[in-house]
Amino acid sequence: MTSTYRRGWESRRGSGRSVEDASRTNYYGLPAIHKPHWNWLIIAYFFLGGLSGGSYAVGSIAGLFGDRESRKIARVGRYISFLALLPSPILLILDLGRPERFHHMLRVLKVRSPMSVGVWVLLIFGAFCSLSAAGQAAQDGLLGRRNGAARLLRALPGHVVGALGIGSGFALGGYGGTLLSATAVPLWTKNGVLLGPLFLLSAVSSATASITLVLSLARGTRPTTLARLERLESLALLSEVALLLFTQSRLGRTIARPLVKGRLGLIHHFGVLGLGLAAPLVLQYMAAFRGEAPSRVVTALASALALSGGALFRYVIVTAGRLSADDPRATFDLASGQSPTAW
Amino acid sequence: MRELDPANGSIGPESSAANTGARRGALGFVTDVTLCIGCKACEVACKQWNDLPMDDLGLTGHSYDNTNDLGATTWRHVAFVEQFGQGRGSQSMSNAPGSNWLMLSDVCKHCVNAGCLEACPTGAIIRTEFDTVVIQQDICNGCGYCLPACPFGVPALSQTDGKAHKCTLCYDRLKDGLEPACAKACPTDSIQFGPIAELMPRARKRVTTLRERGVESAYIYGDRAVGGTGGISGLNAFFVLIDAPEVYNLPNMPELPQRKTMASYLTTIGTAVACGVATYLTLRNR
Repeated sequence: MTSTYRRGWESRRGSGRSVEDASRTNYYGLPAIHKPHWNWLIIAYFFLGGLSGGSYAVGSIAGLFGDRESRKIARVGRYISFLALLPSPILLILDLGRPERFHHMLRVLKVRSPMSVGVWVLLIFGAFCSLSAAGQAAQDGLLGRRNGAARLLRALPGHVVGALGIGSGFALGGYGGTLLSATAVPLWTKNGVLLGPLFLLSAVSSATASITLVLSLARGTRPTTLARLERLESLALLSEVALLLFTQSRLGRTIARPLVKGRLGLIHHFGVLGLGLAAPLVLQYMAAFRGEAPSRVVTALASALALSGGALFRYVIVTAGRLSADDPRATFDLASGQSPTAW
Repeated sequence: MRELDPANGSIGPESSAANTGARRGALGFVTDVTLCIGCKACEVACKQWNDLPMDDLGLTGHSYDNTNDLGATTWRHVAFVEQFGQGRGSQSMSNAPGSNWLMLSDVCKHCVNAGCLEACPTGAIIRTEFDTVVIQQDICNGCGYCLPACPFGVPALSQTDGKAHKCTLCYDRLKDGLEPACAKACPTDSIQFGPIAELMPRARKRVTTLRERGVESAYIYGDRAVGGTGGISGLNAFFVLIDAPEVYNLPNMPELPQRKTMASYLTTIGTAVACGVATYLTLRNR
């Protein structure tokens, strides 16, 4: 306290009144902060952007260091990445109150504003992703064989482009969490520094799951390739579930309420934690316990579940944040000054 | 306008740099709840001067409060808190037996370090030469990031034009040497306008007077101890309150949301490196 005088309500609070009491005081239960208007457009973007960035990074690393068979991973990764990228700017622009002014985002770069950083990340990643996808399409003969553009793209050093773009891919996968954490919304900012890592892990698991899904349905994929992908997928899922549970446990009862109570609590527990994270892990380890490689059907099912879990995770985090912004008790709990919020 | 140097304590020894980080020449409000009579002249004057349309008024049942909140077309909001029964009012004002009626004209705090300004990805939100925070309407594209980035819930998106709006501290009037419309209209001087250098000592004196007269719970909301905490470094529109901040729907010790951005970037980059290594180890050629 830098002030020179004592405040009456503070001494009252000190003598017998707890933080809980203070957070029970509010103004007709009205929200103390304003929630963002973000709806399914932003939720879809967070999912597709993560999928795009993640599959680009995973595909590029596989292409750089893998064997001949790994080129399939790189190829599928590049295509998925490009397809997921395409709707992303459209979703973002449609969400604006004044869509025709979207280019005003390009006036400035503000390092302390994750949204500003994210705009530039999306722009840079978009260039890498499009170039890689075009190069891949030219190699696959999708752009014709004889024209100059296809020849030029075929001559493109794909691995170099991929290597340079890995960073922007990971950045696109993780910045959504950083963006949410830099707000006054209790559920997003309480353990803010863990939200970026959570989004990134979810992006990597979704990306790996989508590549696995495509390859498990394609003919001629070797079981070893699928097994490697599954190992990466389960690693990402395990880290994700551990970090998610840790984050949730540190929120405190008042702030964590939207994740526990009501319909959203059910979706979180059964959809995200159950079907999206636990079920794919169980399916993979069941086969591993029996000492055999999982059948393609099981692999495909586990991947599809992990993928939908990734989408549900974005829905739950965004919606729960909006609910916690509407709860003045959560806001006052966050700003009580009694609990450290540095985490 | 008198020059203000918070560093050398020209605003008085009591309220030097320790209490507010207000910059040289900063202008602002002090809003004193003990003088407010709840007439809403500030709300009306604000709407008239700034050409703001009426709100979708209905009876909220929250005492005389029919706007509930600051919004895109409500830049001053008078809160009404009715305190009846044992132990509430009598604790706050020793001369009011058993009941109390608090009124507070809430407004944008024009934070010394503003979350909305730091969040804005278009550069639409600027700090003016008066140290106030203004949204440039020809730049804002309605992304809505300033809404959750404000720890006080001030900016709001308009359904009509899709852009974010809030109090400008009457930037156009300040340019012409006039005081903001709300302060001009306030009949009891509950809202006072001026350089922070003059307002802060005046508010401290008022708090001392109030305490001498028996309102022992009086205090300033908006210095570095309460309201302007956690990297916000003080509010250029601050308040004299007589009950806990939460009673007026204000956070006790808010934090600048961007305070953790760099740490957040670092943890994310660390995770990215770990993910890259894990991907390499699982997918490499063996």
